Amino acid sequence: MRVVIAEDAALLREGLIRLLQDRGHAVCAAVSDGDALLAAVAEHHPDVAVVDIRMPPTHTDEGLRAALALRQWHPGTGVLVFSQYIETSYSAQLLEGGAAGVGYLLKDRVANVAEFAAALQRVADGGTALDPEVVSQLFRASRQRGGLSTLTPRERQVLALMAEGRSNAGIAAELVVSGGAVEKHVASIFSKLGLPPGESDNRRVLAVLRYLGPAT
Amino acid sequence: MDEEIRRAAGIILGAPLTRRTGRELLYCGLSGVAGALGFALLLALLALGLSISASVLGTVIGLLLLTLALRVSRRIGSLHRRLSNRVLGQHVEAPPPFQPGTGILGRLDRRLRDRAAWRGVWYSLIKLPVAAVQLYAVTLTVFGVADLAYPAGWLLFHHSPGPGPSPMTAVIPLPFGGTFHVDSWLGTFLVAAGGAVCVVAAAWLARGINAADYAVARSLLGPRTMAERVSELERTRTLAVEDSAAALRRVERDLHDGAQMRLAALAMNLGMAREKLDDDDDATVRELIDAAHRNAVDALADLRDLARGIHPPVLDNGLASALATLAASSAIPVTVAADIGPRPAPAIETIAYFCAAELLANATKHSYANQITIRICTERTGLLRLEVGDDGIGGADATRGDGLAGLAQRVSTVDGRIDVSSPPGGPTAVLVELPLEP
Repeated sequence: MRVVIAEDAALLREGLIRLLQDRGHAVCAAVSDGDALLAAVAEHHPDVAVVDIRMPPTHTDEGLRAALALRQWHPGTGVLVFSQYIETSYSAQLLEGGAAGVGYLLKDRVANVAEFAAALQRVADGGTALDPEVVSQLFRASRQRGGLSTLTPRERQVLALMAEGRSNAGIAAELVVSGGAVEKHVASIFSKLGLPPGESDNRRVLAVLRYLGPAT
Repeated sequence: MDEEIRRAAGIILGAPLTRRTGRELLYCGLSGVAGALGFALLLALLALGLSISASVLGTVIGLLLLTLALRVSRRIGSLHRRLSNRVLGQHVEAPPPFQPGTGILGRLDRRLRDRAAWRGVWYSLIKLPVAAVQLYAVTLTVFGVADLAYPAGWLLFHHSPGPGPSPMTAVIPLPFGGTFHVDSWLGTFLVAAGGAVCVVAAAWLARGINAADYAVARSLLGPRTMAERVSELERTRTLAVEDSAAALRRVERDLHDGAQMRLAALAMNLGMAREKLDDDDDATVRELIDAAHRNAVDALADLRDLARGIHPPVLDNGLASALATLAASSAIPVTVAADIGPRPAPAIETIAYFCAAELLANATKHSYANQITIRICTERTGLLRLEVGDDGIGGADATRGDGLAGLAQRVSTVDGRIDVSSPPGGPTAVLVELPLEP
């Protein structure tokens, strides 16, 4: 896959480039601020952009604003936002226009190289990769409105993994159960929540998110 | 008794011969001249400035002259303080330095309301009669010394051939004035005696007027009035509060750009290293790298909590965002209602945020509540109101427990207030009011 990286810390930027190149991906450009990111994406049309939230000049949310602009102008490019912190208002803004091709991860997650690469691939393919922290915040917000009470603890686990963007096979591997068991849970969740079972991973996530509702 | 009288007389009459009198007279001369010149300069500037300001066209120039006068007044004040310190060794504390405002109007406003400068103007005006007396003391001494030298003068010049002063004329200082004719050598001793009286009187006059001058200088050029002191304290406290907020922000940013970034890179490299190890590689190496990797990830999480406790970065986007994130991570459901008009100062936002965080943590720990509400709004009166309530068991006490007492302390640093209502059985409602600017 073809990737553009926007990260102002040189150490992390170089690390990411190496990580991705090691796995056979092409890094078209590695930049260090939001404007350069927009220019690089316009030039290279990559499959996915990895975007740090805090970048020069103000070191607050430049990356987020650049990511939102990318979502609007280059819907074909997946956006994986990563940051030292998970902020509810940021996840709400990112998910506002749908969850397709969106990722929001803590920077810690790059430590688990395989999972990070898999998440990036999912986002590049138009899927979703949400940090477990994002998901748990969304769950809390949703629980506050009531509605998840009918789910069993196991079903909540499955729903959380679905919300992170995992496939049935991924969920089965994570929970160490058979694929059939996961399918049963998913069907049960959908019926309890009154949602029609979807075909693709993406529609599942969309359905889950629509139910959870981005926290505001 | 005789002994004492003699000693007192010795002190009084011997005063002109002491070094102190020399310094007092030197001060009289310097301070008197400086005072007279300062008076003239300030009076000219003020009179000119005020009279020009009366016309519309002249207002700008008039105001400039006024500000110039106030600047000069500060300079004159500092000159007098230095003289007093250097010559007499009497220290007059300096007023707070001038605080220039921002922008032309701000600067002008600060300058025109510079109390220390205005008090300096008063000093210069009062100084005129004082300077007159000081200069008089100097003249008196000069005349006195001249008269004292009379008998010697008579012997040296009167009988010399040629036209001498015959009869000799003695100078008599004000207020008596006039001249005194002497035509015998014995008579000159009368003049000398008068000179001695002048010199002694001048020494004590100098001491007296300098003491008065010092008292005036101390009250007008030195320690401030209580109101000025209070406003000075308020200003420095605001600076301190803003400084500490900015310092915490900087620490968080440094952590983010430094330690956190390096740890993330370290964790990533260890992750890559772990992947490169094949199954047949040394098991102990795998274990070590695994452990290092876990440690790095844990340290990253610790550091994140620490940095967030120092200054939550999302505060940069405003209180509403920050409180939403805070609420989302609460174990008890929280509803947030925010209505914030003009944005409060960063230091106030930080205090409000940490109040909300502490109250939320308290409620989570002690209240057994099912629902927490946070309401935050700005009022037209320039207040930020934060209300945190829960439907729990109540019994929170502001006087007990470090949490609420600590909050009260934090809030009081900006003249805010906190009001806790928490009857046993609940519900609990805590109201925090903060000014929009510290």
